[in-house]
Amino acid sequence: MRAAALAIVFTLLPIMASAQIGNPGFMAPNTRFAAPGVPAQNQPNTADTLFAQLAAEGGLAEVDFAQLASDRGQASSVGDFASRMVDDHSTANDNLTDLAAKSNISLPEEMNPAHAAMRGQLEDLDGAAFDLAYMRGQVVDHQKTATLLMWEIDAGQDSGLQQFAAETLPTVLEHLRMAREIVADLAREQVAAD
Amino acid sequence: MYRALTGACSIFALAVSAFAAEPDPLPPDASFRPLPTMPFSRAKEIDEAQKPQVMERQRDMLEARYDLANRPMDGVMMSGGRKPVQDGVRVRLPQGQSWEGLAGMAAQDILESDLLPDGFKPLPHVKQTAGGQVFPDVEIDDMAEQEQRDLRRFDVDFDLPDHLTPEFPPPIFLTNHPELGDVSHGELLSMRNHYEIMNGLLTPVQMEGLRILLSSFPQEEFNQTEDRKVAEPSIGVACLDCHANFHTNAAFHLTPDVRPQAARFRLDTPSLRGMFNQQIHGSKRSLRSVEDFTEFEQHTAYFNGDHVSASRKGAHIPDRAHKVALMAQMQNMIDFPPAPKLDPLGRLIPELATEQELMGEEVFNDKGQCAVCHVPNTAFMDQQMHDLRLERFYKPGETVNDFVLLPDGPIKTFTLRGIKDSPPYLHDGRLPTLADTVEFFNLVLGTNLTQPEKDALVAYMLTL
Repeated sequence: MRAAALAIVFTLLPIMASAQIGNPGFMAPNTRFAAPGVPAQNQPNTADTLFAQLAAEGGLAEVDFAQLASDRGQASSVGDFASRMVDDHSTANDNLTDLAAKSNISLPEEMNPAHAAMRGQLEDLDGAAFDLAYMRGQVVDHQKTATLLMWEIDAGQDSGLQQFAAETLPTVLEHLRMAREIVADLAREQVAAD
Repeated sequence: MYRALTGACSIFALAVSAFAAEPDPLPPDASFRPLPTMPFSRAKEIDEAQKPQVMERQRDMLEARYDLANRPMDGVMMSGGRKPVQDGVRVRLPQGQSWEGLAGMAAQDILESDLLPDGFKPLPHVKQTAGGQVFPDVEIDDMAEQEQRDLRRFDVDFDLPDHLTPEFPPPIFLTNHPELGDVSHGELLSMRNHYEIMNGLLTPVQMEGLRILLSSFPQEEFNQTEDRKVAEPSIGVACLDCHANFHTNAAFHLTPDVRPQAARFRLDTPSLRGMFNQQIHGSKRSLRSVEDFTEFEQHTAYFNGDHVSASRKGAHIPDRAHKVALMAQMQNMIDFPPAPKLDPLGRLIPELATEQELMGEEVFNDKGQCAVCHVPNTAFMDQQMHDLRLERFYKPGETVNDFVLLPDGPIKTFTLRGIKDSPPYLHDGRLPTLADTVEFFNLVLGTNLTQPEKDALVAYMLTL
């Protein structure tokens, strides 16, 4: 019995060490607890569910746009950026899918209407105009994703998803920094070419 | 007509299709405070269960960043003579590094090798998801005794050791009575004692301003609703609960100027000494008068920049003409502590200063670049905000104790008059000692100071 109790304590320790410590005032009254003050794992609140769905939507579009950019991109910086997006976001999408499955969250399998519209606009472009439109879209998408991740870190309750958000954020900020630099370069080049 | 209509319809269709393609925004709690969902008694129970882990996690983080030992300087006290000034650099270096070595490296190399000392990075609040005002025990105990008012939270405790905070109660120096020195009687100003202490020293309008500054009003964590972090329904907090005796007791909070919650940085209470010379107010907001700031604090220090939450819990917006003006006039009477070694222009008087202090002044004005912003003849500030761009040295986005470390952006220049009295330093209190501030700015500004120059700078700052 004592061994079993100890085993529970040791299993919980790493969870407690990595989990966010939320404001219980905003928790649902039917929250289940693994230990006093520690919500049971894989018990998403509404923020977790919405986060996973929005992040999955965004991730789908990231990979899809990046594949298009690998074909159509003109500048080498855009091609490099696109292949980095395919790599990073494919890994992130897989991780997110696993975490969502564990917490019973169903994820969208198609792009949202905004991304579908963006995709349509990009398909009509090529050359420098494509590069700039794709990269400008990337700046906005990464800004939104960074905000989404930060929101999940404090508003969520599912420790797996929160850890995913915390681990993904530095990479997204790095992507955003790269995208801003590429847009600045492309815009300069376009002005020089005009 | 038909063509014009078609044109109008197409434009309308375009507008509709563009609108339809807009993604849904995040839910309101990305900016606004949500309404509580858990009954108060159970929320309190869960908070209390979490508290040991919250405090242990914060202690571990602080221990890893800083040497928190009680190591006072020999014979150097704060202005009221109640607490010694702490000595030495307390920020811990990364393994195998030296301050000279780091200062000799390019910012990009420090970033890529992840060598910026953690103690130089933004300091997390003790509980980021809840945030809010946290008072030191000395303030809590004094107010409990004087006013029977409870400032103790059930979810968190104050996180810094007492010896790394300002002396308590801080002395009070009045611009309208410099001949008297400290007029605090060694007491913490409260609703109970302020009239007895200040009668004869203040005008009626100043006295009324003081009374309002000592009046309690509902605040995000201290109020009558179920969304509070104090055991009993509370009548609230007063301005001077943080700005104790118009100085600071190192009570901390989260900035009201940033969302979402995980990105809000910690704020260390600034002193109100020398308010008469301060032209911009709020570390980020740059409000242009103390009247504006005083009026708006009900929305910020009290309610996190969320006027909706304020309306629910009971905002007290002071009337501009009859209350704010009086509160502002009172604040403008608070002087810096005496600095007998400084002349009227803020320069050291050579015959009163030591050789080391004079050397420190030279470093301050020249090689150290301190005086570029901390201008001696304008009370060691420049009425500007500056962006130190610390993110040149570290990769932003890391999450520490539920707080996301992000670039600070522009922050107000704080005065250095009486600076030995107001540890910890920087807007979030991330630097425990003056020696830490010297190492921080030596790195950030790339000034490559020698050890004797660094020591001289600290000696000089003690004279201010």
